[in-house]
Amino acid sequence: MFIAEKVGKEWTMDQAPQYAIDHVANSKKNIFEFEFLNSLSAKISNFFGISSESLFYIDLGISKHVFLLFFVSFIVVSTIVTLIQGYISHKKNIPNKFMSIIEMFVIYLRDDVLKNFIGDKEYRSWAPLVYTIFFFVLFGNVLGLIPIFDLTGLIGKIGYKAEMLGKDNILYLLSKGGHTVTANVNVTFAIATITFVAFIAAGIQKYGFVQHWKNLAPSGLPWPLYFVVVPIEFMGLFIRPLALTLRLAGNMMGGHIALIIFITFIFSATAELGGLAGFGIAPFSISLALGLTMLELLVAVIQAYVFALLTAVFIGMAIHVDH
Amino acid sequence: MNPLLTPELGTYVWSLVIFMTVLFVLRKYAWNPLLDFLEEREKDIAESLKMAESAKTDLEQIKDESEKILNEAKKEGKAIVGDSKLRAEESAAKILNDAKAKSNEFLDDAKSKIEIEKKRAIKEIKEEVVDLSLELATKVLQRNVKDDDNSKFIKSSLEAVKVDEAKS
Repeated sequence: MFIAEKVGKEWTMDQAPQYAIDHVANSKKNIFEFEFLNSLSAKISNFFGISSESLFYIDLGISKHVFLLFFVSFIVVSTIVTLIQGYISHKKNIPNKFMSIIEMFVIYLRDDVLKNFIGDKEYRSWAPLVYTIFFFVLFGNVLGLIPIFDLTGLIGKIGYKAEMLGKDNILYLLSKGGHTVTANVNVTFAIATITFVAFIAAGIQKYGFVQHWKNLAPSGLPWPLYFVVVPIEFMGLFIRPLALTLRLAGNMMGGHIALIIFITFIFSATAELGGLAGFGIAPFSISLALGLTMLELLVAVIQAYVFALLTAVFIGMAIHVDH
Repeated sequence: MNPLLTPELGTYVWSLVIFMTVLFVLRKYAWNPLLDFLEEREKDIAESLKMAESAKTDLEQIKDESEKILNEAKKEGKAIVGDSKLRAEESAAKILNDAKAKSNEFLDDAKSKIEIEKKRAIKEIKEEVVDLSLELATKVLQRNVKDDDNSKFIKSSLEAVKVDEAKS
């Protein structure tokens, strides 16, 4: 991460948290401006009666995270479709290295998660959703860990000063290192919304609209208890996607912030105690960051798995009410 | 507001759109074909395993059967050999007996023929002796001239008879 030169001499120790937050947070301005997107944003916001100053203004411009979302989805789709189509069209029963990793996840999720929680018959209609969630989140997490965009930072250092282009220029933003889309609560909330819709749709599909909502309350309780149980179950319905949202975003955010803070130890030591202290602390700080990156890699897989698992569990709960 | 928790409805909408698109594309071109393929493959494997199992039992059955057939053939072969030996012995004995019987028959036949010939020869000699005696008597009667002569003649005739007898 080429933070050192960028921050230069103005660095003070108390800048570190803000720097880390800026790194993880979305850009304040859009990195690409499209006229039709701006007018569309204005129209939709007007329709809902949201003013442009409001916090809830629907700005459809391409911000840093939206750009990365496109990037992640492109990588996910191209990788998976190429691998799977290549595998199937060859009619060979032996997958190659990457395909066998995908196949391992697919078979594991199918046998241990989908069939287990959703059921042997019903799992097929929900399998694509669970798989897509798993791989989308996994690729989002892992791509955030790979500092691919630090290369653009390097090129920027050699060729020109990225800062001169302005703080919201794409090259400057991309030169700030890897970004994780799944650390943005809006992104994770969108995926959690899909999970939410999916498990309600699963219940309605199985029991019909009325019966599904009746299933919220377990039958056979003494009637005064329903005043307690129904609100709890109803709240649970909305807490589930919120928990999904915050769990994933929090995990990704926390890891990245810690990673950046460890690196800023070097600059803080340099700024406060001089260059020698900076050199002294660098091995310590880099080894910490290295270890944390390994841990984050593990967390990336685990969080993707947890998101997919919980989606399957919620769908299964809606289908098998007696549990 | 903390920039990490700012609601960005634009990002939210984009996330929904992008995720749904990814879901749609992957569902159509990746997950459903892959799940079908895996199911097909698992079915194939299960079938081949079943086939292998049945082939194994078939093989065992065939092995048992062939062993049985082999044992029977061995037994039969033994029986055939034993039988033929017996028969050969029998027929050899029979041939030998037949030959013996036939040779005995020949011998008997020859003996009896010899006996008949002998009897006939003796009979012929006897007749010859009678004839000679008669001839001799007639000759004696016709030459009754001298006693001396007579006796001389009888003596010579008798000698002739003796010679004849010795000859025959």
